[in-house]
Amino acid sequence: MTSTLLLSAPVEARRAASALLSAFRLGAGQTLAGWPVLVGRCIFYVILLIVLSALWDKVVTERLPGTLAGELPPGGLALYIGVTEWITLALPAVHLKLEDDIRSGGLEPHLLRPKSYLAQTFSQSFGAAVVRLGALGLTALTLLVVSGREPPPLEAFAYIVPLGVLGVIVGILLYALAGLMAFWARRTLPFQLVIQKLMFLLGGLYAPVTLYPPVLEAVAKASPFAAHLYWPSVQAIATSRDGFLMGLAWQGLWITLLSLACLGLWRAGLAKVLREGGV
Amino acid sequence: MIAFLRLYALQAGAAVRMSFADRANFALQVAGMAVNNVVFLTLWVLFFAGFKSVGGWGFADMALLLGLTMTIVGVCGVAFGGYRDMAASILRGELDALLTQPKGLISRLLARESLATAWGDLAGGILVLSLFAQVELSRLPLLILALCAGLTVYLSAAISFACLAFWASGARSFARDLTDFTLLFSSYPGSIYQGAVKVIAYSILPAGFVVMAPVEMLREPGLRSVAIVLAAAGAYAALAAGLFHLGLKRYRSGASAA
Repeated sequence: MTSTLLLSAPVEARRAASALLSAFRLGAGQTLAGWPVLVGRCIFYVILLIVLSALWDKVVTERLPGTLAGELPPGGLALYIGVTEWITLALPAVHLKLEDDIRSGGLEPHLLRPKSYLAQTFSQSFGAAVVRLGALGLTALTLLVVSGREPPPLEAFAYIVPLGVLGVIVGILLYALAGLMAFWARRTLPFQLVIQKLMFLLGGLYAPVTLYPPVLEAVAKASPFAAHLYWPSVQAIATSRDGFLMGLAWQGLWITLLSLACLGLWRAGLAKVLREGGV
Repeated sequence: MIAFLRLYALQAGAAVRMSFADRANFALQVAGMAVNNVVFLTLWVLFFAGFKSVGGWGFADMALLLGLTMTIVGVCGVAFGGYRDMAASILRGELDALLTQPKGLISRLLARESLATAWGDLAGGILVLSLFAQVELSRLPLLILALCAGLTVYLSAAISFACLAFWASGARSFARDLTDFTLLFSSYPGSIYQGAVKVIAYSILPAGFVVMAPVEMLREPGLRSVAIVLAAAGAYAALAAGLFHLGLKRYRSGASAA
């Protein structure tokens, strides 16, 4: 009996990995199939960058004395914002999928299947996010060339890409938390809005959190929102190996904690559904 | 005219009552939007605490712009909530049933929904205007004029974008995107836009006339600034009505984009 279990464990792991890979491919394929939406997202990205770089370019041009403008990099924050928006716009609406499935009863058939619904959903969302990261990344590079701005050092790209991908995972987990609230609330939009705005504020969507007052900066840096946006993006304006490693450490910590939180919410919600027969 | 307004008020009232039906959900959505607005305002507080001004705009100017934007979007969502998905209504052929009814078609489309989240915007907008925008009480009539004109331009732009659905089947999300882009342009200091971007902000995505020109009118009132705001409101309303009726003509002829 023990030997059978030992033999079947790797097989099970391989099958689970294969199922996750299939879900990943499905998410990526769906996003590619909806290419007009993807193009629209890229256009939105360009417009956002035009507006936000206009704001920071103005601040840098003016460089008012006695303000924080002196602390800004010479090229402004366009590159920093390029990365924050790259990650933000790559996030799929996993909360809406969870909300739809939980509220419509679409979840029940999945419970009879041998693979974890939550893991499959996450993997599918990650597949979608990776395609978006690719498309938005190409848009960003094109825009960088067209704008004539000085690019970050080559080394920065090697840091930004892995941190960006991990940042997206943190974001998916945060949105998944909002989506799992559908077990208790009819609409998850309010939770998603709060999380999204915390991403903007504590994640440093529009400006690095180092420009915040010291207390807020410390809180922001230690939050999952900085792991989502700040740590990957700061590499575009202050490239450093130490910063990269620090970012990796925070992201690792938050991915673990948020995964556990998702699992906890999922189990509690599922127990509620099984006990009360629906939401 | 009075009968028309009364009918509109009744229809919009019914939509508002429907949005109230699920109290807990309503409260959550309003609270969510309120938090959303507080955080957005906090970002600007932090920005101006660090950088004082941008292109001559200080925090009070930005608060005025944000207050106007939130109030306009709030009123639109509460009283004209159908604007948000008007393109979908057109594409789904929902005009067929409305065409048999006697009073205004656009008004029926606008009054069919009220968005719960819009109450959060409306409350936030009024708070921001009264606490941070530094508008003198003597300029209250101008503020009301600014809100009415901005609302007319925003709503007219949204209707014009939705009219694309008469000609293109993929217009649903595109129309919403264009409305969101307008809102995006309306959420940043007008002084940052230059050249081609400024032209866009004062034409295709008319954020310039939704909030920036009204802000200018409130800060430096004069016949010229009032005339610009009023003329823009009239022009965009006429454009929306014209496009809608042109599209409707095509719709009545049996041509469908869907």
